[in-house]
Amino acid sequence: MKKKITAVLMSCAMICGTAAAPGVSVSAAEEKTFVYGTVGYGEAQGDAGLNPHDNYSGWSALRYGVGETLFKYNDNMEIEPWLATDYEFVDDTTVKITLRDGVRFSSGRTMDAQAVKECFEHLIEVHDRAPYDLLIDHMEAEGNILTIVTEEPCPAIINYLGDPYGAVIDMEAGIEGEAGYANVSGTGPYIAEEVTPTEIHLVKNENYWGGEVNVDNVIVKSFSDAGSLAAALQTGDIQGTYGLQYDNYPLFENNPEYAISSVPTSRCFFGQFNMDSEIVQDINVRKAIEMGIDREQFCNVLAYGRCIPAVGAFPGSFSYGNEAVTAPGYDPEGAKALLEESGWTDTDGDGYVDKDGRKLTINWLTYPNRLEQPLLAIYAQETLKNIGIDVQINNTPDHMTYAENGEFDLYISSATTAPTGDPEYFFTSTVAGAKNYGNYQNEEVSGLVETLHKTFDQEERGELAVELQQKILDDASFFFVAHLNMGIVTKANVTGINPHPCDYYEITAELNIE
Amino acid sequence: MGKYILKRLLQLIPILIGITFLSFAMMRLAGGDAVTYMYENAGVNVPQEVIDQAKAEYGLDQPFLVQYARWFAGMATGDMGKSYVSKRDVYETFVPKLPATIQLTASSVILTILLAVPLGILSAVKHNRWTDYLIRFLSFIGNSMPNFFAAMVLMYFFSIRLGWFPVVANDNLGQSIVLPTLTLAVSMASKYTRQVRATVLEELNKDYVAGARARGVRGHIIIWKSVMKSSMLTIITLLALSIGSLLGGTTIIETIFMWDGVGKMAVDAITMRDYPIIQAYVAWMAVIYVAVNLITDIIYHYLDPRVKLGGDAA
Repeated sequence: MKKKITAVLMSCAMICGTAAAPGVSVSAAEEKTFVYGTVGYGEAQGDAGLNPHDNYSGWSALRYGVGETLFKYNDNMEIEPWLATDYEFVDDTTVKITLRDGVRFSSGRTMDAQAVKECFEHLIEVHDRAPYDLLIDHMEAEGNILTIVTEEPCPAIINYLGDPYGAVIDMEAGIEGEAGYANVSGTGPYIAEEVTPTEIHLVKNENYWGGEVNVDNVIVKSFSDAGSLAAALQTGDIQGTYGLQYDNYPLFENNPEYAISSVPTSRCFFGQFNMDSEIVQDINVRKAIEMGIDREQFCNVLAYGRCIPAVGAFPGSFSYGNEAVTAPGYDPEGAKALLEESGWTDTDGDGYVDKDGRKLTINWLTYPNRLEQPLLAIYAQETLKNIGIDVQINNTPDHMTYAENGEFDLYISSATTAPTGDPEYFFTSTVAGAKNYGNYQNEEVSGLVETLHKTFDQEERGELAVELQQKILDDASFFFVAHLNMGIVTKANVTGINPHPCDYYEITAELNIE
Repeated sequence: MGKYILKRLLQLIPILIGITFLSFAMMRLAGGDAVTYMYENAGVNVPQEVIDQAKAEYGLDQPFLVQYARWFAGMATGDMGKSYVSKRDVYETFVPKLPATIQLTASSVILTILLAVPLGILSAVKHNRWTDYLIRFLSFIGNSMPNFFAAMVLMYFFSIRLGWFPVVANDNLGQSIVLPTLTLAVSMASKYTRQVRATVLEELNKDYVAGARARGVRGHIIIWKSVMKSSMLTIITLLALSIGSLLGGTTIIETIFMWDGVGKMAVDAITMRDYPIIQAYVAWMAVIYVAVNLITDIIYHYLDPRVKLGGDAA
């Protein structure tokens, strides 16, 4: 019996002994290893695997340094060359793209126009969104010159080529594995050795065209629980995180052991009013709702500063972003005055305004999979009560059914308003497109959207974006609450990893452990 | 015995039909579908024809009964379909998750028994003395603590403060399994300690124990040879229920410790409205509960031959 007890104790001691070995970033062979924890990777996010031609997996190819696109977005979300060096619109439907010399896939094949053509042909054959964005009719390849001919004028094609689905991969090497296990041969600073829906093991690309890659190995780990993500960073199991929960930031702020970098993205939380709903057909009611919500407080207090107050659809880093437009700010007294002007007063002393015996009740539709949205709904319920508006929240995963049926007064959703750095997308999809659930109609706005769709000049497109935003803000048909402030938290000795307004580029050749 | 087992297994068929139909209906009532989740909630615009095409591909445009009948016909022929999200075969998605769940079930049940049985007996033997009070106090704390809180407390001390164990599962199974096992065992052992204590106390007050003592039989022999044998029926009933529940995955623990088992998979599938995976999970739960209950009944019969199996003649 004593022997058995001794054996059990020894086993426990062995487990504890092995457990005592801490997570290390530099191995015995002086190889640098970076372990990155993220809530942004996995099947639930639709981006598991590295095949850019499948669902949103291109995000993973781009985020983790395996794939690269012909064009990329700079910090102001303006397009700039990457695997391409130049482009020229020959006519409204033809664009000639010059590719960079000396770029090789990790398979060893040279990236030339023929390779890119094969990649894009496969992309538009199998991808769900790319064919509708790119409108490619056919392509021609000659040396390093790729000519793309579109079915109709597509002024934003260069922007769309920067979308993660445009990551260039070697189709001769093919796609190994499927879905969350898919691996590809790209041109990026890292090569994936093992891909699963929960983890990616990367090694540095010794022949990377962009120069020396600092870190030898990167392990990307998917997390579902944000609390565990914070704890793993504290223990050193991981050295960098993406998607830390708001209330965990204070653990790392003002702490010399950690570095935090943040940037506002074009993911915007916004509302659209139902123009078919009698109660919000009154512009004064719409404006009062907008003026009754304190965006600053929501972003700074409830969202722990991880959101930036929005004025328009795009963040301030865009030339046509926040500062370019104006909208009513938080003004509860002004909101009350507007309601009174429209005949809404509290006649029965219950704290809510009423008119003709009817209480002012707003049906607030939203959905739970973005934690900011239910939070905003609860906050609005409290704050709008102060100006006498009763908010009934419908927070449901089945929000689409309610939105399509027009069963709401105000529909709060979130969207990446400029995923490719171009403003057209938001207006064609949401303001004058299939997602205009509020049935907002304004002929002037429709005309401007049509003009934007046909305009090639970038400066002119920006001006149109400003004009369009101002129109919808003046009509109070939409209102914009916040832009997501994306943050990456790392150990202080990790450098060269920063969030980007487009939310794409995370692991790059600049990543280093000092 | 064979006839009895066969009868119980045949009962599984109506159970499976009933439970899978109910879960299928409830998921539809909850609203939303995989395609909506994939495209709309991602906040990226997709042409309506792409959405319609995807719904048609998964059969989501069909009436509810047609969808269920198709799924059931597939399952009856061994084809559980493909995940709407990963596009992978459900069987290939589901089966690799089972070893992790079974490992965690086994380790937490073993630790629970190792803690609860000796502590329960000790508490009963030292009835109303400080050892008893201490054990009861600790089991009260363990019972009151929700799993996620226990996980956070253990994580804080053993990972963040002491650095002994990793926060999330890694390649070292010996290291990774400790905290999830401890978390599960804390609450289960607290519950069972009280149960063992109550059962043992009840047995200790019986005449055969007084008789054994009068004959000079030593205390530990009375406990282990007589009292424990009589107490086993209650303990096994509880353990059976716990094993059933653990084999269904411990969602919160699997999520917190990134333990790649079926519980976490099921929750992800529910979030994403991945019906084929949800249905496979529901079927698995039905099978394990029927199997565990069957095994429990058989063990009862062997431990106490007075307990008759349903198929035996009275």
